[in-house]
Amino acid sequence: MDIPHRVFSALGDPTRLKVLTTLASAGPATATELAAKMPITRQAVAKHLSALSAAGLVNRESIGREVRYQFDASPLEELASWASDATNTWDRRLERLRKSVE
Amino acid sequence: MNDEPVGEVAIERGVEVSASPEDVWERITNSTLISDWMDGEVTIDPEPGGRITFLPAGGPEVWGTVEEVIVNQRIQWSWRSDEGRPSLIEFELAPGSDEETTVVTVRETLLPWRISGPDGITEWPEASLRSFTAVNAA
Repeated sequence: MDIPHRVFSALGDPTRLKVLTTLASAGPATATELAAKMPITRQAVAKHLSALSAAGLVNRESIGREVRYQFDASPLEELASWASDATNTWDRRLERLRKSVE
Repeated sequence: MNDEPVGEVAIERGVEVSASPEDVWERITNSTLISDWMDGEVTIDPEPGGRITFLPAGGPEVWGTVEEVIVNQRIQWSWRSDEGRPSLIEFELAPGSDEETTVVTVRETLLPWRISGPDGITEWPEASLRSFTAVNAA
């Protein structure tokens, strides 16, 4: 799968989405810190972080023996940009189609 | 990752035009007429499995395959360029607010770059959505 589809797969699970929104609102954190804020194990958090990382939605940063995860909005911005361009393009075309029949 | 469901990224736009569905159908499925409003040169063979190509004014060439056709109602094709993402285009025609008008809806859905089937990874542009479906159903 390519990135946009991974993004949507990654966002499809409610717990995983919660992991992401927690990172986005509370800032960078380790898997252990995230697990302390949620009713799931550190292992479960780590699994979700791995899927989010594959989608490009979180970046990993190693500090000593710690791995911290940070929210990255760029895949979402890329999708929004595609949607915006496609919307404008089809609006222009449909308007020309409308005028062509008058 | 390949076993996870593919999310859908799509946009939908619509317009009501002063023409019958039959007239609008001609304007979408006739290469000369569609080229007028797409702002580029289009060739289209409006049959399932037919080829579509589009050379936009100033853009890279886009090419693909017609997937589904219901005359005067609905046509669907998948296409991509060397640079752009593959996508699925669906046109639907429905009666408008009076007998002389037609509501045209277009939907563009992003497709994955590659899809895994029993024979491994199938990549664009060698196969169309049609053959992906066949591979995945086998």
